[in-house]
Amino acid sequence: MKSQNERKRTFLMISIPILLLFFAFNTVPLIRGFIYSFTNFRGYGKFDWVGWRNYIDLFTDTRVGNSYWFTFKLALVATILINILSLIMALALNAKIKFKSFLRGMYFIPNILGALVVGYIFSYIFTYILPAITHAASMLASRTWAWLAIVIVCAWQSIAMNTLIYISGLQTVPEDVYEAAALDGATGWNRFRYITFPLIMPFFTINMVLCMKNNLMVFDQIMALTKGGPAQSTESISFLIYNNGMHGGQFGFQSANAVIFFIVIVIISVLQLRFLNRKEEQL
Amino acid sequence: MANENIIAKEKFNWPVTILLLLGLFTVLFPLYMTVIIAFKQPSEMTNSVMGLLSFPETWSFENFREAMRVTDFWRSLFNSFLITAVTMVFSIIIHSLMGYAVARNMNTSKFYRFSYFYIVSGMFVPFAILMMPLVKQTAQLHIDNMFGVIVLYVVFYMPMNVLLYAGYLKNIPIALEEAAHVDGASTWTTYWKIIFPLMWPMHATVAVLTALGTWNDVMTPLVIMSGSGVNTLPLAQLNFQTQFGTNYNLAFASYLLALLPMLIFYLVAQKQIINGVINGAVK
Amino acid sequence: MKRLMLVPALVLCLCMSAFAAPVEIELVQYKQEALRTFDALAKKFNETHKNIHLTISSPNEPMTILKTRFIRENYPDIIGIGGDMDYSNFQDAELLADLTGYKGLEKIKKAYIDIIDGLKFVPRPGVFGVPYMANAAGVLYNKDIFDAHGWKIPESWPEFMKLCDDIQAAGIRPMFFGFKDTWTTLAPWNALAVDIAPADVCQNVNLGKTTFTKEYHEVAEKIYAMLKYAEEGPFAYGYNDACTAFARGESAMFVIGNYAIPQILSVNPKLNIDSFVMPGRNDSNHTLNSGVDIMFCVMDSCPHKEAAYEVLDFLLEPENIQAYVDEQNSVPCQTGEFRLTPMLNGMKKYIDAGRMSDYHDHHYPSEMAVDAQIQTYLIHGDINAFLARFDKDWIRYNRDIISKLKNYMAAH
Repeated sequence: MKSQNERKRTFLMISIPILLLFFAFNTVPLIRGFIYSFTNFRGYGKFDWVGWRNYIDLFTDTRVGNSYWFTFKLALVATILINILSLIMALALNAKIKFKSFLRGMYFIPNILGALVVGYIFSYIFTYILPAITHAASMLASRTWAWLAIVIVCAWQSIAMNTLIYISGLQTVPEDVYEAAALDGATGWNRFRYITFPLIMPFFTINMVLCMKNNLMVFDQIMALTKGGPAQSTESISFLIYNNGMHGGQFGFQSANAVIFFIVIVIISVLQLRFLNRKEEQL
Repeated sequence: MANENIIAKEKFNWPVTILLLLGLFTVLFPLYMTVIIAFKQPSEMTNSVMGLLSFPETWSFENFREAMRVTDFWRSLFNSFLITAVTMVFSIIIHSLMGYAVARNMNTSKFYRFSYFYIVSGMFVPFAILMMPLVKQTAQLHIDNMFGVIVLYVVFYMPMNVLLYAGYLKNIPIALEEAAHVDGASTWTTYWKIIFPLMWPMHATVAVLTALGTWNDVMTPLVIMSGSGVNTLPLAQLNFQTQFGTNYNLAFASYLLALLPMLIFYLVAQKQIINGVINGAVK
Repeated sequence: MKRLMLVPALVLCLCMSAFAAPVEIELVQYKQEALRTFDALAKKFNETHKNIHLTISSPNEPMTILKTRFIRENYPDIIGIGGDMDYSNFQDAELLADLTGYKGLEKIKKAYIDIIDGLKFVPRPGVFGVPYMANAAGVLYNKDIFDAHGWKIPESWPEFMKLCDDIQAAGIRPMFFGFKDTWTTLAPWNALAVDIAPADVCQNVNLGKTTFTKEYHEVAEKIYAMLKYAEEGPFAYGYNDACTAFARGESAMFVIGNYAIPQILSVNPKLNIDSFVMPGRNDSNHTLNSGVDIMFCVMDSCPHKEAAYEVLDFLLEPENIQAYVDEQNSVPCQTGEFRLTPMLNGMKKYIDAGRMSDYHDHHYPSEMAVDAQIQTYLIHGDINAFLARFDKDWIRYNRDIISKLKNYMAAH
């Protein structure tokens, strides 16, 4: 009983200061931002209260509507693509391969290169090199395909990070599990399906959530590749929030946008977490 | 020891190695473009495919020297290094503690389950809405400096890292701690003696992901330390971009210089991730 | 080495402060590319003025830095910014001091005072900035290609179209746009709009006197007509591609402003560039597209206004203006004789005569993304939908300004 109390007390002493820190620098500014969403504040200077106007505008703005459609389409496709590819990459890089460190290092590079480099290189590839090979028009100039170009670049950059998380997940799978499996004759796909995957399921959950979040908040790749074009077909929600809230004078309106966006992603992610956690327990 | 011998005797998986080497093209080609652009002069830039892929006229390190001069390389590097390293250390300590508290109590306590979702949902707050309030808040607290930037990073990366640590701890059996408890060790001691060392692969992963985010980040130091004259490497790299012109050659040289420390750090951390397994297997 | 030099300087400062501490003036200016020019000006100022110490900073991401400093209420004394929407917002937020009565203003060309006056959301009295340098936009052309074929500068829109046909017939690409970067669509748009539409169109729309559908129809038609003379699929290429293409002689003309010249010359330093005013109208009575590239505003919070004026006096001295013009290829806003870069020869007579008008997009709220709307229109080609949306969006994005303006007009 005494040790139970000691345990409880220790956990509280750990978590309360950390929660306070988090509250002070995440929740407090969020609340302030929420308050600004009822104003026409431009970030500095004087402002007026406008009541619910920003929220009403939000639901009648076709540009905002289009950006939601675009962002979710992109996030869904990119998240699935990235997770499949990075799981394969992690398994491959974790296998008994030659040049292990070298290969792991090389495949990590896309994650370190800055947005300016990635933007320039991929613009070049999409604008000059791919059309030269395929004799088709540039993907970036096509309203139908520009979003796919952004998916490709997002995937190229973020596979490294998700692979890294899967690799560290694979380290928690004890070697003797494989040995036991080998004795049972489980190899290849079956070994993955019934042994490896269930064991790294928590990491699948983490990767799905992180990946979904990163892709829903896509911004850098859009600035680097299309700047929202062609014909406003690749404007993501974050693109609108940043460009119009920071550089434009729409801080109040975009705060409202950010609040709604925040609520939407939290709901999606919590549902995702709950669903995946339940799956974890089943496995 | 016997285990390791078996591993060493096993053959390399050559088909996977070869596939990985072939896949390396997707990384090497953009990297090749980056390197040759970094060596070229602005007057060598063309819009033709062959012109861009050709070697520079001379292989001179002049761009790298000039890039180092423009960015005040060593000083900016030092600032970036300081911010990244301190953030990393605090993140590993604080976030692993919080992850531990959450992971061990989530299933029994509403408070910890709420804390978990509260912190993780902080990940989805668009930075744009926090930015203006944070600028004001850090100024009022007189931490509109490097310290403030570090505090903010520790808060920003908390959601992702708590998610990672809590996920990892799911795969570490609680029996280990209970044994220590029976021996009369306090929860705090048990954590540092048993749990913390067990999490090395995750520490390395968290370190890499946190370092990567802070190393490349422009926005936070820009808005929090604006006008203070303290430059990080990404801030100094903004020098190459003005509204109507970008010197890609110098910029790329500078990005390559900034890439190296991260790559080396990643390779070192990778070793930790793998070593962690062997330690775990030996125990 | 630098540190060692600082010590005697510090001692010197301390000694002098025994008599009278110099007033500190901080100037933050937004043209990062003019960093060296401003550093030299600051050094010269400090050598000649013992009572004031001037610090000029030219930060990266200057507007973000300025705005975040405003949030912190950490104001510089003077800011050097462009004559655009940011100025309008700063002025409207009552951050800037009224400079009426400052003598330096008398030397500034009236056209530029009018331009910045037109940027105010509400026509309150007062002058809130000193226009320093202007930029000019229109058509840059490759002089060597023109000379080789004997092409003449077009005087009217039909002549311009004829010229484009001739160039195309000669197997040369007339223009390169780079419309993937949406903002580049504004270059031809503005050049045509200042020539065709009235300068105060935005304010008149705000007052409900006219509509963009009416005023911009011709502009929209003409910008669309230019597309067939550009590169194939202009929405695939960016500003940088366009600069490189023009620099390499892949197009005879480039519809852009003088601000693009340094980027073009970095690719091909020997390129022989000249410019002409975009002949948007069907007659030959044109207006140059010119705006205030940099102006100085004294912050309302500045405690030493007299010292700030002394800094402005210094910057406005003709030899300092000439130094700036020489280094930055700019157009001075001050009256008097200045040597301009020969690359602006084709625009000089408009500049001298003051026949110019501001970029229309300086009046567009950036969050309305007019550039993206123009890009959309150029892709779809539906002029009616474009103009209808322009009018509809305008009302929404400007409603606070419109109500402010209407209240002001009703009260005055």
